[in-house]
Amino acid sequence: MNTLNRINTLRTLAVALLSLALSACATKPPPCGSPATKNLDDAIAIVQRSLDNGCASHFDRYYDDLLTIAEGDPKPENKRIFSEFLVWASDEGLISQRQAKDYYNRYFNVKFVALASDYNNCSHTCPRRDRVMLQMERELSDKERGLLRVSLDNAGYYRADELYQEVELVLEATCTACEAGR
Amino acid sequence: MNALPAWRRLCGLFGFAIALTIPAIGSAQDTAPTIRLFPTTVVEDLRQTSSVAREMETGLQEVIGRLDQQQLLYQESKCDGAEADPGCQRLSRQLGATYLEMLGIMEERLPDMEHTVNNTRLSLEKRLRSEIGNKMTSWTLQETLLGGNPQGAEEPGPSMRGRSGMRLSERFRQYYQLVASSGSQNDQSLAVLASDIYLDMDETSELIARTREEIARATLIEQLNQSFGTITPEMMEVVGGVKSILFGDEAGYVQVAGPPPSYTEPAYVSPLAQ
Repeated sequence: MNTLNRINTLRTLAVALLSLALSACATKPPPCGSPATKNLDDAIAIVQRSLDNGCASHFDRYYDDLLTIAEGDPKPENKRIFSEFLVWASDEGLISQRQAKDYYNRYFNVKFVALASDYNNCSHTCPRRDRVMLQMERELSDKERGLLRVSLDNAGYYRADELYQEVELVLEATCTACEAGR
Repeated sequence: MNALPAWRRLCGLFGFAIALTIPAIGSAQDTAPTIRLFPTTVVEDLRQTSSVAREMETGLQEVIGRLDQQQLLYQESKCDGAEADPGCQRLSRQLGATYLEMLGIMEERLPDMEHTVNNTRLSLEKRLRSEIGNKMTSWTLQETLLGGNPQGAEEPGPSMRGRSGMRLSERFRQYYQLVASSGSQNDQSLAVLASDIYLDMDETSELIARTREEIARATLIEQLNQSFGTITPEMMEVVGGVKSILFGDEAGYVQVAGPPPSYTEPAYVSPLAQ
């Protein structure tokens, strides 16, 4: 009787181990590798499939991969391609609409996302002016990539660079004036 | 002798004075900007500063002309290396006396300059604080600077940006051109212009205060030089520097590069663009 019980226990244990192993196989993460092609349209199609198949958490890296691929074939049309890709990602619920706007504007718009604020300059921007300027500097580097190296939009990048300098100058003067008024 | 820094400061002030003698700054009030950075009071302060500066420049021009002639005479008389010669000693003392006269004029006029520059600085300070500091967010400031065409296809803005280290006279001449043609300027240019002028005024104000302190010392040192009958290299250098500022010197002109050729096709506008 004891022997029979022992056999039953072992059988139960074996079944449990087997089902555990099978379930582990079932939840194995998808590969989520970077697209190997140099063609932007093909790369976007591959990325879209991957994102649909459980790789949404890799969105940042995929976006970076796509920018790198686009740098290999820069053209003004790339702006539209990236915009459509981001609208698709937003429609699919992979990223929020706000994120889609940030991804686009950070790289392809002259305006600086770093300057988004609802409060006045004296009270909000001036106390953190150094940080804002540092964020703008980093964003300008992304704009160099998006506007200049991906989209060949020289005028757009030149304007963004000029805007950076203007903001720096006007904020220096304004914040000096704000500080003097305290 | 520690007169050189003082002289350099004085040279800066001369340039400032000359630039402000341009009379048409007042025309800025003809076109009021949407953001009121140059209301009548600010323009009036600029005009007043211009007037005071013109008086100082008029007073200095004759003295500088004389300095120029005396320096020429000193050189033509081959006095370099012949300082012991009685004739050269006389020339040197004359030159030093004119130099002292120049310092005296500066000493006399600087308080007025200081007062009007401070008035202009304070007026601009108030406008910047009110119009950009308190009424705008960083986002609306950005939109103001970009104007109506944020896609990068607009005409280049004012050709001068920030405190580039160019001579004050040249900078203020450009200020004048920009303010005087404000009919074609928009808020984006005026915000930058007001900031540029304000920061310059801030520095100039400090410069005048420091220069006033230096004049007393420079005067004392030159009086000692008079006793010894020597002409210092610094004085020679200063005469050249003042001349170049008063009568024009293009060597220091800084031209800001224009934009690269722009892409001519209509720019793509994404629905995501803000």
